[in-house]
Amino acid sequence: MFNLIKMNLYRMRHAVSTWVIAIVTIVFAFMQFGSLKLLLDDPFHMFDAGEGAEMLGFSTVGGEHIITTLLHNSNILIIAAVFVVLFANAEHKSGFDKNLIGITNHKWKHALARWISAVIGMTCILAIGFVVLFGLCALFMNSFSFGSAAAMLKSAGFLYLGMVTFSAIFFFFTTLFKSSAGGIVASLVISLGILNLIEQLLDLAVNKIFSHPAYVPSDFFFDNAYMTFDASGAGMKAGLVFVAICLVYLALSVGGSMLLQQKRDVR
Amino acid sequence: MDYILTTNELTKTYGKYNAANEVSIHVERGGIYGLIGRNGAGKTTLMKMIGGLSRPTRGSFEIHGRNGETTKQMMPKVGILIEAPGLYPNMTAMQNLTTKAIALGINDKKYLKGLLEEVGLSNTGKKKAKQFSLGMKQRLGIAMALVNKPELLILDEPINGLDPQGIAEMRSILHHLCYDKGITILISSHILDELAKVATQYGIIHEGRLLEEETKEELFSKCCERLELKTNDISRTLEVLNMMGFSKMEVKDDSINIYERLNEGGAITIALAKENIQTNEIAVKTDALEDYYFQLTGGNKNV
Repeated sequence: MFNLIKMNLYRMRHAVSTWVIAIVTIVFAFMQFGSLKLLLDDPFHMFDAGEGAEMLGFSTVGGEHIITTLLHNSNILIIAAVFVVLFANAEHKSGFDKNLIGITNHKWKHALARWISAVIGMTCILAIGFVVLFGLCALFMNSFSFGSAAAMLKSAGFLYLGMVTFSAIFFFFTTLFKSSAGGIVASLVISLGILNLIEQLLDLAVNKIFSHPAYVPSDFFFDNAYMTFDASGAGMKAGLVFVAICLVYLALSVGGSMLLQQKRDVR
Repeated sequence: MDYILTTNELTKTYGKYNAANEVSIHVERGGIYGLIGRNGAGKTTLMKMIGGLSRPTRGSFEIHGRNGETTKQMMPKVGILIEAPGLYPNMTAMQNLTTKAIALGINDKKYLKGLLEEVGLSNTGKKKAKQFSLGMKQRLGIAMALVNKPELLILDEPINGLDPQGIAEMRSILHHLCYDKGITILISSHILDELAKVATQYGIIHEGRLLEEETKEELFSKCCERLELKTNDISRTLEVLNMMGFSKMEVKDDSINIYERLNEGGAITIALAKENIQTNEIAVKTDALEDYYFQLTGGNKNV
């Protein structure tokens, strides 16, 4: 298992897509910095006093806000989705899996190792994004203060768990469709909130049929739970519910991918 | 007989279609087993099942005498190259080999360099796999299959699409692996003449079924030139032929096939006449491997 993870990390290091996505993340971090700088420091005096802070919901940028800005964003979700899908599919696409799957005892280990490696890669890319954004804010923003480390870790923990769960879902769809196109379409449907529209319709339908407005099915859909989750302000109960939803989807997605790998023939 | 691989009525079904139907092959250790069949005959399906890439619908197989669940323990001693080699196009030959080696816990650059030398790719340097010719890709595919030091090598159509020089190089690699390194090879092809130059054992597969399984000698005895003799008394004819010193012959149906001294048809006829045996027919006949295959499979489509 450890060797399979090492192998996946080796090929990740040699894949062009890894570096392209890392560069895109850095560009994204610069863009985020630009938008924060415009709104809070207002170098061109475009806003009335405090207007930018009102739009953002905070007046000084701290580590907690950088984490939230970075992870709670559909753009970064799309970057993560593309990375996971391309990485997960490369072994099927190149046919490299034929070299190994037949001679190893448990095929499911390949899926698990691939997913763990994808998470490691995604974490590194997010870390690069965080360091760049954090560094830019620390160096060039007047309204920067490090803030509370505990608050930063809390936000980071929740949102990172969410990203890991998303990676598992993207990974599952890629394994299911055996193609990056299938995986990317499924991932974009989630990242761009298209699935969310369907969930809203489901909520309406359920409420109409059962006349029970307190029951909201979309609360249990992972994408909705993630997008609406307030990582910095969440209380204990809301946090536990979010963690439970993440773990259920994580287990189902990774388990499903492993089962597909174990039972399916290699093309 | 020492078999490294035997299959027992191995069957793969897709819906109602039997891609491989109760195939039982017996691969002798230390030889090259050629699986002959036209496209879609079931060669790849059979090899995928043996190589652990596809689950058999029915049947089983033994590797090194292990079957059932214990077969899995023997799979690390199997090298597989099924259809096109699975390579990362943006990696060099060495990087592709290293990728597989890492997965298997092998950390020996010298060994990997040796593998590249064996397949004639030691001087490819930083050239990426996507820039390789088809022959180079196939050779790298073989090197990939050799990373885990296999005792059985499964090669599916490795000469398909190669130019004459590529085919000759592949032949020499196969000979080296089998006779110098002692690796048993199971190879499939629909190019009969090429397979005839390397294989020591043959399995002829058609529409998912194994039609015949023969040694090289058995197959060539059926395919090579022979003197076919038909007389009114087979047993007395055999006595006459024995007296004349013929030994390489066999009785088949109502005729005798003689595989030596093919230019002595006249002498045989005179000798038989002296013994009052009537010669009904005597002629030199040739069956090419291809003819024999067509005869077995009942057609000449696609081979």
